[in-house]
Amino acid sequence: MVGRAATIAVVGLDPVPVTVEAHVGPGLPAFSVIGSSGPAARQSADRVRTALGTVGVTLPNRKVLVSLAPADVPKAGARFDLAMAGAVLNELGVLGPELDRCALLGELALDGAVRAVPGVLPAAASLTGSGRRLIVPDRNATEAGLVDDVDVVPVADLGEVVAVLRGDRPARAVPPEEGPLPGIPGPDLADVRGQAEARRALEIAAAGGHHLLLLGPPGCGKSMLARRLPGILPPLDRVQALELAAIRSVAGLTVEAGSLDRTPPLRAPHHSMSAASLLGGGSGVARPGELSLAHRGCLFLDELFEWPRGLLEALREPLEDGVVRVARSRATVTYPARVQVVAAANPCPCGGGDRCACSDDAIWGYRARLSGPLADRLDLAPSVTPLSAAELLAAEDGASSAAVAVRVAAARAMAAARWNGRVATNAEAGAAWLRRSTRPAALAALAGAVEAGALTGRGFDRALRVARTCADLEGAELVEPHHAYEALAHRMQLRACAGAAVGAAAGSGLV
Amino acid sequence: MSSGVPAWAPAVASPHADDGDVDLVARVVRLAASPWPHPDRVRRLLAARIDHGLDTGGPAVVSALEGAVRRAGAVAAPASVESMATRLAQERARVLVVGAEGYPSRLASAWPDLGAPLWLFLRDDAAGQGPPDAPTVAVVGTRHPSADGLRTAGELAALLARSGVVVVSGLARGIDQAAHEGALRAGGLTAAVLGTGLGVDYPAGDHGLRARVARSAGLLTEYVPGVAPRGHNFLWRNRIISGLADATVVVEGRARSGALQTARMAASQGREVLAVPGSVNQPTARGPLDLIRDGVQPLTRLADVLEVLRLDSGDFRARPAAEDATGVHADLLRLLGPVPASPAELSAASGQPIQLVLAALAELRARGRVTATPRGFVAATTIGRSRPG
Repeated sequence: MVGRAATIAVVGLDPVPVTVEAHVGPGLPAFSVIGSSGPAARQSADRVRTALGTVGVTLPNRKVLVSLAPADVPKAGARFDLAMAGAVLNELGVLGPELDRCALLGELALDGAVRAVPGVLPAAASLTGSGRRLIVPDRNATEAGLVDDVDVVPVADLGEVVAVLRGDRPARAVPPEEGPLPGIPGPDLADVRGQAEARRALEIAAAGGHHLLLLGPPGCGKSMLARRLPGILPPLDRVQALELAAIRSVAGLTVEAGSLDRTPPLRAPHHSMSAASLLGGGSGVARPGELSLAHRGCLFLDELFEWPRGLLEALREPLEDGVVRVARSRATVTYPARVQVVAAANPCPCGGGDRCACSDDAIWGYRARLSGPLADRLDLAPSVTPLSAAELLAAEDGASSAAVAVRVAAARAMAAARWNGRVATNAEAGAAWLRRSTRPAALAALAGAVEAGALTGRGFDRALRVARTCADLEGAELVEPHHAYEALAHRMQLRACAGAAVGAAAGSGLV
Repeated sequence: MSSGVPAWAPAVASPHADDGDVDLVARVVRLAASPWPHPDRVRRLLAARIDHGLDTGGPAVVSALEGAVRRAGAVAAPASVESMATRLAQERARVLVVGAEGYPSRLASAWPDLGAPLWLFLRDDAAGQGPPDAPTVAVVGTRHPSADGLRTAGELAALLARSGVVVVSGLARGIDQAAHEGALRAGGLTAAVLGTGLGVDYPAGDHGLRARVARSAGLLTEYVPGVAPRGHNFLWRNRIISGLADATVVVEGRARSGALQTARMAASQGREVLAVPGSVNQPTARGPLDLIRDGVQPLTRLADVLEVLRLDSGDFRARPAAEDATGVHADLLRLLGPVPASPAELSAASGQPIQLVLAALAELRARGRVTATPRGFVAATTIGRSRPG
């Protein structure tokens, strides 16, 4: 006779069903775990053995063997504790066939309490429609309850598991999902004075999902502007919010509030961070990095020129594909990474500002340090200018985030109707489809910029997407030449007109 | 003294040189083949002769140099002299010596104590005579100019060239090259004074400008062929630029720049100096503004320089105004000038929404009317720039 209990491993974001088998027989007293790896198994054994004592099950003079199957699925952490205890209890006859209709997740404390574990949301999603109950720690109950059509049973300790499954006590209900939190409103665009160019670029970025680089001297409000982008983006729909919640769950950020977070995330990693923490990494199976935690939201790269070149190059592929693949010793996992990059940089080598005496060609040279392919992906590069004291007093309040969000939503609705569900934003739209809604004169304007060396071939398509967004913001069916020119204007601070003497004189010479 | 004129000598002398001049040129080539008579040493020897009241005519100084080289045991071997002659022939160079035919007369008036060199190597692929004896203006400035500086240098040089003035500069990137280009574009004559020897590709990447100047009024240098660029040489070179010219115009330069040094040289040689006033906000305008503060005449319109030379400015045509633009475009062309303006400033000043201002700026740039600089937008130059598209 072998006791069994079901649980769910999560490799990357993919749930994998795992069966825990337990055999209790005569022999030297021992509690062995096989099918898992590393010291985690030894530690689980000790926790489970001690916790079983709290429900009156002691195992003197017995050899206990617990096996996690399939053995070749990478398993780490303490999420299988509860299922191991369940399998042993099943083997000892404490729990009966009612255990077959359950999956268990949770870490056991020495006193029998059940503790929260990461990755409950994707595990719960795998049970949708299966008719199985999911027994989860109290603190993961809200998170598991976000998935429709799964019977979630929150438990506080091992004793409650036994009582509920034996029918001695009714299962507690999961607290219902609350409506959108009134919460703390995010930072508002109305706080930003002046900066007409950067505001306009921010609005276009929000409406079309384009990447943005803010160029300005220290203290002029680049971070302030960047942090206001999530506030003008449309809230995430339920599917998107669940994707993000699953990534957060796997990263160990449990969903605390009683509601699905619909606000697009903004992650602001520091330029000293490692590739593993940016893209995802860790031993055995990679955990999601900052890039994936910003999924469906914004990745804010402050001081872009301080970032190691290798790290920026590593971002290129995920930005193009919308996913990041990370290979580690035990598994190669794929995390979603559909982010909008908001970068900020000083405009020139000395930092910029009133005392800047850098020559024009020194500044172009400094900006050329952005590798061409990455610069091509930054569609909008407005300059953010420091305001004088007089301007700070005189400048009118700009439009509020709410007002801008309405315009953004209208433009997005227009784009969504045109793309008919094929893509979500203009930034993802195929060039061939874009050309169909563009006047020939507008295409000619962009082609002229390519000829003049101000745009590369890839830059052409990207400028066309930005032009499409400008047209959407205006409610125009066709992309007109002035939309194309505005798209060009938004990245003129990045590449000078090639061939002009200013751009060419980059070498160092004598008198 | 030499005995007999070598066979190679007439080829490296000025086309109109007489026998005595060819002999003098041959002696200078022998001197130049020795490492001893570096221009610095020649200057010291000359200073000593001036101090002692000795003859400072070209032939006399050459004789004195020959003596000094003999005493130093540095007389060039016949093989070195031959190879120097071959090298000069390769570079199609001619040797111009003070006191002999072909040495530029304006520069000769700066001999002996105002910085003229004892000899010059000239490469002139056209007539082989170097800068003609016509009114000459030096246009100098920074290697890191603003867009407006490039425009001023190009337009000024074009105006001078159209008025028959020879434009002299140093072939450096930035203002110098814009001046040469402007003169060539207007079909005029321009000469460059190099800080290197002939046959050195410096500054690299000038799009054949050096060759075109060599076909115009020629390349001049006091260094033997192949001398590599050295910072010190460029500063000394500046006194030849100012010495060749009736007037020197400083277009742009920072405080303590080479261009300011050229202006000081010109003043000490008794030549006219003009400075192009810029904005107090423009770092590259610092040099000319300092000159103006110190009493140098400001160039308030391009034709000022012709008045200084007492030439007719009738050929000068004002740049066409923004007559063909309407609406936002016209507003922007009226607002834009040489000092960079940001789209936000232009939007505030014109009362036009930012998206229209941005679109108009990009369109004006595509039409060559506006230039993007890292600090914002400036009105574009009309000379020295091809129109995109």
